[in-house]
Amino acid sequence: MATERELSDFLKSVEKRAFKRSIYHVRDEEAALDIVQDSMMKLAEHYGDKPLAELPMLFQRILSNCTLDWFRRQKTRNALFSNMSDFESSTDDGDFDLLETFTFAEGSQQAESAEDTTRRAQILRQIEAEIQELPGRQREAFLMRYWEDMDVAETAAAMGCSEGSVKTHCSRAVQALSKALKAKGIQL
Amino acid sequence: MTNIQATQSEQFQDRFGRLVAARLSAGTAELSHDVAERLRAARVQAVARRRPASLRAATTVSNSGGAATLTFGDEGQSLWNRIASILPLVALVAGLFVIQVAQDERRAHEVAEVDAALLTDDLPPAAYADPGFIQFLKTGGE
Repeated sequence: MATERELSDFLKSVEKRAFKRSIYHVRDEEAALDIVQDSMMKLAEHYGDKPLAELPMLFQRILSNCTLDWFRRQKTRNALFSNMSDFESSTDDGDFDLLETFTFAEGSQQAESAEDTTRRAQILRQIEAEIQELPGRQREAFLMRYWEDMDVAETAAAMGCSEGSVKTHCSRAVQALSKALKAKGIQL
Repeated sequence: MTNIQATQSEQFQDRFGRLVAARLSAGTAELSHDVAERLRAARVQAVARRRPASLRAATTVSNSGGAATLTFGDEGQSLWNRIASILPLVALVAGLFVIQVAQDERRAHEVAEVDAALLTDDLPPAAYADPGFIQFLKTGGE
């Protein structure tokens, strides 16, 4: 069972990423803060006595559900507003070879100038913009898998889908992101 | 696609994903102070809401006690115990029925006594309908 200290440390370790992920989904800072707060409350209230190892998966699931709830409430409040199509899977991109389209920058361990800092911030904003453009499920799978560092099985459990679906979503997300970043001339 | 190509593609996919994640992680460090504080406050509030396990267990015990009282403690008991638990109710209903029958009988007996007295008296019952006889009674039978 996770102690109060462990629960607090866990929440501290995920809160910023959770906030950013919520922003990518809802594109509203206030709403994202509310969603993260709701998720934290629910985790602590209902699953605060669960083992520490189970908390990441539970939290991701709660966060996803809270985000969906927010969209549902928005839809109810404003009949014209509907962003749920983001959660539908996109059409297939056909044959695509990641190796051909994207090359990684090598040896980036140099001293960083002010220009580099600005450039880095710009790249971050562009990456975030591209992530926001991804369909919802692809974005979820990609961020859980690589940013939250969850394995395929954990991501599948948190998203409530099969491991094959997670792999497909991740693969498509990587293809779309690498294409978009290459088109903008961004090297990672 | 051969197995080797598929593996290579997966490796590149993983590498790309982790590089993007590293960029995003660098971005989280640049969150505004206001947002960071609000997240911290939310975290503290959430941790405060966490109920200790002992309190949760105590709530469960008291709840099960309440349930036992409401259901006459029939959890895991035999048929005889269940029958015994409804006996007081049966006795109450039977008692009310007996009282009702006894009261009806007493009322009928009283009415019968009055009727019998009227019929066995020397005075005919029709005399009570006669206005002259009532006047005679009022004047004291002189």
